[in-house]
Amino acid sequence: MNPLASIFKGWFAIRRDLSAPRRVFLTAISFVLPLSIWCLVSYVDWIWHPDIKLQISSEREGNSTIFTAGDHISPSYYKEMVAATRAENTQLLAAATPPKSTKRANQKLLRQLAPIGIAHDWLPYTDAQNDAAIYHLWRDIATGAKVPVEPALSAENLEIVKKNWAQLAPVAADFSLSSLPETPLLKLIPQGLPANPVFLPAPHEVWRSGWRDFTSPAPAGELTMRQRYQHSLRVILLGFFWSCVIGVPIGVLCGVFDFFSKLFEPFVDFSRYMPAPTFSTLLVAVLLAGDAPKIALVFIGTVFQMILVVSKTTRLLDPALLEAAQTLGASPKQMITRVVIPGILPNLYNDLRILLGWAWTWLVIAELIGVKSGLTEFIETQGRFRNFDRVFPVIILIGVTGFVTDQVLSWFHAIIFPWTSRGNVFSKAFARLFSPPQRVAAKPVVPEGSLT
Amino acid sequence: MAAALQLPSYLDQSPEVAARFQRLQERPVALEVCGLTKTFATNRGTVTALSNVSFSVHKREFMCVIGPSGCGKSTLARVLAGLEAPTSGDVCVYGKPVSGPGPDRGMVFQAYTLFPWQTVKQNVMFGPLMSGVSHSAAESEARQWIELVGLSKFENAYPQQLSGGMKQRVAIARALANQPRVLFMDEPFGALDAQTRCQMQSYLLDIWKSVDITIVFITHDLDEAVFLSDRILVLDPHPGRVREMIEVPVPRPRHNDQLFEPSFMAVRKHIDHLIHPPGQDHQKESPVLRLVARDPDVQ
Repeated sequence: MNPLASIFKGWFAIRRDLSAPRRVFLTAISFVLPLSIWCLVSYVDWIWHPDIKLQISSEREGNSTIFTAGDHISPSYYKEMVAATRAENTQLLAAATPPKSTKRANQKLLRQLAPIGIAHDWLPYTDAQNDAAIYHLWRDIATGAKVPVEPALSAENLEIVKKNWAQLAPVAADFSLSSLPETPLLKLIPQGLPANPVFLPAPHEVWRSGWRDFTSPAPAGELTMRQRYQHSLRVILLGFFWSCVIGVPIGVLCGVFDFFSKLFEPFVDFSRYMPAPTFSTLLVAVLLAGDAPKIALVFIGTVFQMILVVSKTTRLLDPALLEAAQTLGASPKQMITRVVIPGILPNLYNDLRILLGWAWTWLVIAELIGVKSGLTEFIETQGRFRNFDRVFPVIILIGVTGFVTDQVLSWFHAIIFPWTSRGNVFSKAFARLFSPPQRVAAKPVVPEGSLT
Repeated sequence: MAAALQLPSYLDQSPEVAARFQRLQERPVALEVCGLTKTFATNRGTVTALSNVSFSVHKREFMCVIGPSGCGKSTLARVLAGLEAPTSGDVCVYGKPVSGPGPDRGMVFQAYTLFPWQTVKQNVMFGPLMSGVSHSAAESEARQWIELVGLSKFENAYPQQLSGGMKQRVAIARALANQPRVLFMDEPFGALDAQTRCQMQSYLLDIWKSVDITIVFITHDLDEAVFLSDRILVLDPHPGRVREMIEVPVPRPRHNDQLFEPSFMAVRKHIDHLIHPPGQDHQKESPVLRLVARDPDVQ
């Protein structure tokens, strides 16, 4: 057997379960794999990086589109921008008599250096237009008191900083608009690095923005992320709760009595093809702004499916169990309360688990109707500003919430319904922690017939 | 060698057996079936499953119903238990006509019908609880029945944890705990392996001896029918009707050695001929056989 085949031996057996360590390993890989692809695409320059992200920008005469540090531009436009700025500087140096410029233009030119200061925390990020601080930044970099590292200034730009400062220093030690020269200063040459498109921020950026959004106090008049999260949970849980209150009893009745099945199911079957979001404007008109139409939308989105799924689950109950109960003298009422309901509970529980997952889909739409609210409003707003590094943490939060809820509920399945052998390795271990010791003793140990 | 073996007639009864049947006749009638007919409406017209079936079973009798497939054995059990209404005819339990299922008639099914969400004890308690017995009374009663079927160690086990034979023992205990007057068993050991089935049969006879119960046992297994019953009701197929009611001449108590006694073999052979008339089985030669070269050692 060749070495490659021996490594993969046993991993690809048709319809055979893998060993527990292998299963755990693959479960871990299923999360690690997409994460590492994201990291590779974000941090290894040559894999993708179709854009240039600007660290220093410049403005040009007669060019109406203004880019600032942090903007993404195409590599070809970046080249053009660098060449044009260089050409302007060369022209300026070559001119016999320096052309006139305004003090205002020079003030804006000085501000070009601000992103470097902000990146190094020499300036707070609110100080992008604090001219006094920016003026001292020019001094400190020109004299070498501060040395930019991340991002570093190109040698070309460092030279320009020194030349400009040589012109400024003799006139004034501190910034004042009136003391700026009336001849143009040299422009900083645009600097930038290859980057991914703005819609795919790197993991560390997502982590940083998420941490900031989830921990910092909310701006005045806005909700904290925690409040938004609670609001979303409230809407989905209330919607789902009412859906269960109405849907489960009707579903069980439809599954048990043909009367209710023929009375309700045709209309329900029809209703579920009407997309819930199409009711949104109607719901807002009837229930007004606030949470009511949102809860109603989650309700409408899940209740019809729920009735059909629950009635199907009820019908799947082995009819022989009902016949056995009948021969044991159970009345129709007893058959429902003592056989049908306990008999379908394990499957019903799983149905509701899956439907809760669907409810999250409706939540996203529900939060956009009427007055936008909750986590979705945040996603919507930040997405519009193209702040995708702030959007991703919220999307991931919703995913984690759904996944964790589902896993926890599936663990509880094994505890609540000990007679079913469902569940994975983890939930069984989890169930064992809670189960009474007698369950362990219940394995057949006496051979068949030895008792006769 | 087979020709040398002379079997007595199945009608020959030893004096003890004859006396026993005499006593049985004098007991009250537990179950009386009169002119029972059952038809089903299907896409291809009306199908008659049972046609004018009449018989009676005496108190504490063990009767088997046997017949080829399609003779309506299971339908008969379901009608007797009240799960299906007869098209015409009457069923009386101790003179009382019955309609619909009731606790006076217990049923053990071929499929495992224990409630999976209940432990062995809870399953056996089900019947008494339905009829309004208090929880503690039902529990102590259930314990007795579980002990009778020898599963006391497993009273807290769930059905899923039991073997097939154990499940059917619980099903018997559950049916008996309801104290029915007649117990119907619809091929209850059909899904078990041969060895377990054999053990379950002697086992069932032990229970039958120690409990006041009349049993109607549906089966398609000849040995099972002869081994278990006092009388055997043989049904004809299409439509199901009574062919013959046979008194089994094998003396009681029964044990496995009797399988080779002449009386056992005689009655077994007779029923076999009723169900599979001789000369019919190999009339058509299988085309597969013709494809294989003849082998003198395999003749």
